[in-house]
Amino acid sequence: MDEVLQQVGKLITEVVGPDFLLGVEITRDTTFSDDLGLESIEFVALADKLNAHYGVDLVAFLADMDIDEIMAMSVGRLVDHITARV
Amino acid sequence: MSRFLFVVPPLTGHVNPTASVGGELLARGHDVAWVGHPATLAPLLPDNARILPAIDDDLEAEIRAKRERWLALRGMAVLKFFWEEFLIPLGHAMVPGVADAVRAFQPDVVVADQQALAGPVVAREAGLPWVTSASTSAELVNPLRTMPKVDAWVRDLLHDFAGGDIRFSERLVLVYSSKALVAGEFGDEVAFVGPALEHRVERSGFPWEWLVRGAGRDSAVAGRMGGGAAERSVLVSLGTLNGPAGERFLTQALEAVADLPVRAVVVGEPRPAPPNVLILPSVPQLALMPHLDAVVTHGGHNTVCEALAHGLPLVVAPIRDDQPTVAAQVVEAGAGVRLTYSRARAADIRSALESVLDEPEYAAAAERVRASFSEAGGAAAAADRLEKVVAG
Repeated sequence: MDEVLQQVGKLITEVVGPDFLLGVEITRDTTFSDDLGLESIEFVALADKLNAHYGVDLVAFLADMDIDEIMAMSVGRLVDHITARV
Repeated sequence: MSRFLFVVPPLTGHVNPTASVGGELLARGHDVAWVGHPATLAPLLPDNARILPAIDDDLEAEIRAKRERWLALRGMAVLKFFWEEFLIPLGHAMVPGVADAVRAFQPDVVVADQQALAGPVVAREAGLPWVTSASTSAELVNPLRTMPKVDAWVRDLLHDFAGGDIRFSERLVLVYSSKALVAGEFGDEVAFVGPALEHRVERSGFPWEWLVRGAGRDSAVAGRMGGGAAERSVLVSLGTLNGPAGERFLTQALEAVADLPVRAVVVGEPRPAPPNVLILPSVPQLALMPHLDAVVTHGGHNTVCEALAHGLPLVVAPIRDDQPTVAAQVVEAGAGVRLTYSRARAADIRSALESVLDEPEYAAAAERVRASFSEAGGAAAAADRLEKVVAG
């Protein structure tokens, strides 16, 4: 599971650019919305990378969530999803 | 002669298209009134425009304070706040004033901005036909389609407020864009009239001598561009609602243009700037367009379509709301480059600007969009459609 967390952290860093993560350590509790402030185009880029790396469909994963779940969506929840699928 | 009532929120970008369409209706001899926040409306409308109040200054100040808090939000929290704290409460607050305006003005048709939810509610109550003024084309393509539960949440809010999805009139939806930008199939009630720019009122002054070729040019910059080469002009317009992320982007943008052989007009509060930059808190944007070669913007629908209406290529760094959708439209049409607003650096902005200025494909694509707008007919086409609503 740690390995998946590490890899997801690496993919997020690639999408956002390392300069913008200075001081932000990506943990299971890091939220996409508030902590990372992922912009829509970055979200699409991350979805592509996750799909290429794990064959996981991020859009389909989110499609099942309501607005509060999406707001609270954390790296840990994504990691669990990937771990369960792969 | 017919009577048209425009219902608008206290937001410049939403008033502007109605100023143009209303101006056209007035020119045709119709009676026209606007209902909303009078102090927001007055500077944007002709001097003799009839303005009725639905939002007082206290409420408008409250809305502005809310928007300040809203600027600090990121991600999906923006959407939640927008609907729960802004759009629905604004709809409730405007109902009494809009009802008074309908009684006083006795319109034949109510033209409701898509973010003035009180309009359709009051019109239905009064048994009047109502139509939609969609100041952005983004809702048409439903940006929430990939998140069905969030989409259903928005529809539920609208149902609770009005008993239906009043974002779209079944009679007429005026869209100030064209199919060159908006992909998809739409019903006959959706009218792509292109940007409505005629009859618009701009009250900001501008030091036009600054734009005269050669004037105010830094000699070092002139040297780099090889002496007599014609200098190009760009506008950097990031809208009025930006917050700290806006400060960051603006600083990077100033650094980006400092080393380019361009004159840059930047909309913003006064600050130290390179010699080839003119910073003004407000500019007559439409009047400026014919003098420009490219526009850098956050992707507000009005600014983007005004630029394209003049065949200008764009650099778009969308912030929130409909802006990512609008930016995607520009990129899809080939008329500009998209940047990441919260992270783009001076080098990124500079290279994006160089691309749209130097690679002719961008201007050619912008020209294709311009032609589609011109064909769409603008305010005259909108007025034609509105007259047909009265005729039944």
